Amino acid sequence: MYTLTNVTRLYQKGRHTVPAVRDVNLQIPDGDWLAVQGRTGHGKSTLLQLLGGLDHPTSGTVEMDGRDLGRLREAEVTRLRAASIGFVFQTFNLVPTLTAADNVEAALIPLGIAWAERRRRTADALDSVGLSDRARHLPSELSGGQQQRVAIARALVKEPTVLLADEPTGNLDEDTREDIMALLEKLWRQHGLTMVLVTHETSVAGRALHVADMSKGRLTIRSSAPPPPRFPASSEPRPSGRTGSETSYPA
Amino acid sequence: MAVDTEVQPAPGSGGPAQAGGRSFFLRYLGRELGRRARQAIVIALGLALGIGLVIVVSAAAAGVKNAQASVLHSLYGVGTDITVTASPSAGSALSKHNFSLQIQGGPGQTPKVCVNGKCKSGAQTIDQLFPAGKGVLSYSEIAKIARLAGVKAAAGGLALTDTQISISSTSASPPTQFTVQGVDLTHDNLGPLSAAALSSGHTFTRSDQNSDVALVDADYARANDLKVGSDVTVAKVKVKVIGIINQAEGSSPPDVYVPLALAQRLATEGPGGGGSLAGYVDTIYVTTASSTDISAVTRQIKALLPSATVTTPSSLASEINGSLGSAAKLAGDLGTWLSILVLVAAFAVAGLLTMSAVSRRAREFGTLKAIGWRSRRIIGQVLGESVTTGLVGGALGIGLGLAGVAIVDKIAPKLTAIIPSDSGLRFGQSSGHVGAGPAGAVAVGPGGALGGTTQTIPVHWSASVTLAAIGLAVLLAIVGGLLSGALGSWRITQLRPADALARVD
Repeated sequence: MYTLTNVTRLYQKGRHTVPAVRDVNLQIPDGDWLAVQGRTGHGKSTLLQLLGGLDHPTSGTVEMDGRDLGRLREAEVTRLRAASIGFVFQTFNLVPTLTAADNVEAALIPLGIAWAERRRRTADALDSVGLSDRARHLPSELSGGQQQRVAIARALVKEPTVLLADEPTGNLDEDTREDIMALLEKLWRQHGLTMVLVTHETSVAGRALHVADMSKGRLTIRSSAPPPPRFPASSEPRPSGRTGSETSYPA
Repeated sequence: MAVDTEVQPAPGSGGPAQAGGRSFFLRYLGRELGRRARQAIVIALGLALGIGLVIVVSAAAAGVKNAQASVLHSLYGVGTDITVTASPSAGSALSKHNFSLQIQGGPGQTPKVCVNGKCKSGAQTIDQLFPAGKGVLSYSEIAKIARLAGVKAAAGGLALTDTQISISSTSASPPTQFTVQGVDLTHDNLGPLSAAALSSGHTFTRSDQNSDVALVDADYARANDLKVGSDVTVAKVKVKVIGIINQAEGSSPPDVYVPLALAQRLATEGPGGGGSLAGYVDTIYVTTASSTDISAVTRQIKALLPSATVTTPSSLASEINGSLGSAAKLAGDLGTWLSILVLVAAFAVAGLLTMSAVSRRAREFGTLKAIGWRSRRIIGQVLGESVTTGLVGGALGIGLGLAGVAIVDKIAPKLTAIIPSDSGLRFGQSSGHVGAGPAGAVAVGPGGALGGTTQTIPVHWSASVTLAAIGLAVLLAIVGGLLSGALGSWRITQLRPADALARVD
């Protein structure tokens, strides 16, 4: 569970201090899916980086399962990211010289997992995103949607508890966007993830359990109830702790 | 600053995990170098150029050094640490005489030969053996030097020139000369014969001390059709050739070697006669107990014989001039600085290109950090790429270097060494001359026959690649790779994942 208390992140740009995130208070329970929506440059990505321990708040605290990320040593944050946090980026960020399988396997390298186990998990991850037949392909040989699937496989191969997605459909066409969102939703359900997804697209944000607006660094919860079509009753059971009633979002 | 640590491997998975990590490292490294092949080749070629130049320069320097050593050995004698010679102008019996030799006459006239003013008419042959321009030292000095602390052995030598002129009633033949070296047989491993190789016959034994026997240099023997058993006339005495020897190429060795006692007996102070040289030598060869004793022994000899010239290998080396000295200076100064300059440039280019590559890969490294790669692993990856590039550059550099050395060997000019004639050398033909005019007059300058001040020796040299040079090349390749990788790594440590991810390719 994430708890953000009075989180502010200021940047120095020349002589000016620019607030990217201002006084955000937020709780994200385990298994929740929060979409953060807002225009470019209003602090969405900074918030995601604070949640991933890639950046530290200028003031306030970001706690993950009771641990203040700002107080952890860099090594501990790195370890946390390696084991528990998956990232998906708008531009996929695949290593261009590595094959799809190698890109996925790269996420397991810091975990010190044996080679055979790495290969097995890599194959499973690629299979789960429907790219078993593209394992040996380089990123340049894949379409944008396929590259993003590889990136999702890389984020999930280590079986994290948190998935942070920064505009995961920002570089995709409409059909592919639908595919990727469906895939993310499926995996969110299967793995019981806590997912925070940053987007500027309303249709993408609308799929989340909760949607928050980010404007000029301030976060406002807009909705806390999922629209009915995205969670059909016949589908797999929702993981525990994913209902809006269990989530608290002080604005 | 906190130390970045890896997530602990699962129990029992360390070995295969490490092996797998290595295979991933190599895969990543190979593909990355393949992607940046052009840049990697530029870096490798830059390093190769620097390393190749270092090999060529060090090989040339080693070749020149070997040539210098060879010249020193051939001039100085293997095993000789110090030579002692008397200055002609101080303490020498020869310096007290001013010899003159004149042949007067012409076609149809009875020749008249005047030596130091004493004239004799009629056909005659002059064959005189006299010192080659250096002063002389008493043979007893050898024993005194041998007793000095730190001296292992001392032996004498006498360098002489035999001049023959045949004068008939109708003509005077041009003077012919050959050099004769008196060899001290009490220490046959010290002095002029120490570096000689016997090609036929046998060498001197101690019992030859008073025999009329000679060893002849192979070149002189060939030119004069001399063989073992032939006779050679020295100062009108027939001396039997018992062996033919070879000296180091380019060392201008004496033509004939005779036992010291015979040389002393036959030689006179100058062309006109004068006193006998019995009991005299012109060079004393000294070997010390160890190389560290050379300076102390030198000091003692200078104290014992204040007017003598004491020469050590280092002082002799500093006196060698000519193209050999120029080549040594060229290799030592210009070559070294050029190598350093090119290496520094190559390292700088490699470092800048690596830093630039790291900057371009900032988002890649930021992503790796985001998925949990510690900085140390990323740095290791970059260092691995740099060192691999460096090693490729090293291999290319060794190839370039060997090719360069071969070219240098092909086009290198012949070198010569110019050596002062009063430097205590055992060999050498003076640049002085004996002239015979149209009227048959032969004039020999004061102070002995041959008053030249330098001698020029051709030196054969070839660039010599040593294992140390190859080792240095490999070391430089690794250092170059590490340096450029270190610069790249420094960039990585400066990268904040958030900033790196914000980069747009």
